[in-house]
Amino acid sequence: MKILIAEDETLIRLDLRAILERHGFTVCAEARDGLEAVELARSTQPDAALLDVRMPNLDGIEAARRIYAERPLPIVMLTAFRDRATVDKAVAAGVFGYLLKPFREGDVAPALYAAAARHSELLAARRRVGTEQPKRIDVDLPSSSGHAWPVRIERAEDGSLDVRVVQP
Amino acid sequence: MRVLIAEDETLIRLDLKGMLESAGLEVCAEARDGVEAVELADSAEPDLAVLDVKMPRLDGIEAARRILDGRPMPIVIVSAFTEKSLVRRAAEAGVYGYLAKPFREEDLLPAIATARARFDQLSAVREQVDSLAEALAARKAIERAKGLLMQNQGLTEQDAFARLRRASQTSGRPMRVIAEAIIQTLGA
Repeated sequence: MKILIAEDETLIRLDLRAILERHGFTVCAEARDGLEAVELARSTQPDAALLDVRMPNLDGIEAARRIYAERPLPIVMLTAFRDRATVDKAVAAGVFGYLLKPFREGDVAPALYAAAARHSELLAARRRVGTEQPKRIDVDLPSSSGHAWPVRIERAEDGSLDVRVVQP
Repeated sequence: MRVLIAEDETLIRLDLKGMLESAGLEVCAEARDGVEAVELADSAEPDLAVLDVKMPRLDGIEAARRILDGRPMPIVIVSAFTEKSLVRRAAEAGVYGYLAKPFREEDLLPAIATARARFDQLSAVREQVDSLAEALAARKAIERAKGLLMQNQGLTEQDAFARLRRASQTSGRPMRVIAEAIIQTLGA
């Protein structure tokens, strides 16, 4: 699994790289700030990203949001911020994991595996829906005589479906 | 949020319960092994589960798999063991988080928050998948009911459809419901 790491502190970045490599991951890119993270996510096509929150130029949560908007991938935050507001912001940005610094080596690989598995599950479900589920589907109901009936399938507020003929 | 916890060691279980309650979460059930966890996941109706791995009778990962088969919910694993084989089994079983023991309260809460949010997101997408499937099923049922009406009542296609439509309008029920009733009556 190819991992992008974003961390402005060199020592922590080196430490993270070593941990990931020890656990069989490939570190495909190292970013030192949020902007670099967004660019490297685009150019190196990682399978997952591990992002610090407080970084120069662009913080990790905003970077996560932009990365996710361009190409969904599992993102795990790694930060010293434990306050509810920061966690909530990260959750809203779509991250799949959130590890606190000082982090324990034992938490890194499991967080990435779980994030990757759940993310691919979400992508698979999305693919089945298509991009966005239309509220209304117009179809021609085929008939044996070759005649086609225009039918409209609409979803009500409560989620139930109703089927109506558009015109007699 | 109602949380099920499963942990065979009493002290750790109490500790875990304390952490969750001090964060404002309700511990609705406590299991001491995997079998109990599966039972309580069903009967206590938790919103989320935190499971230990090494437990008597049934381990936490197999318990997670069975819980997800029955009543899907976000699950976070806590374990002193973080070998790759265990972690991968847990990921494949469907867990959202996996924390090494001993953990701190501040490790657990963000794991729960991300698990809950991503689970809700997946559930919403899955509901859409279901409603699309429902739309297709509706189409099929109407087509079949129309065919049955034509065959059994000697109606033209146009009349068969008109009758379905009228039944739907006068009863205030979706055409799929009407179509299914016709299939049940005439299709047997």
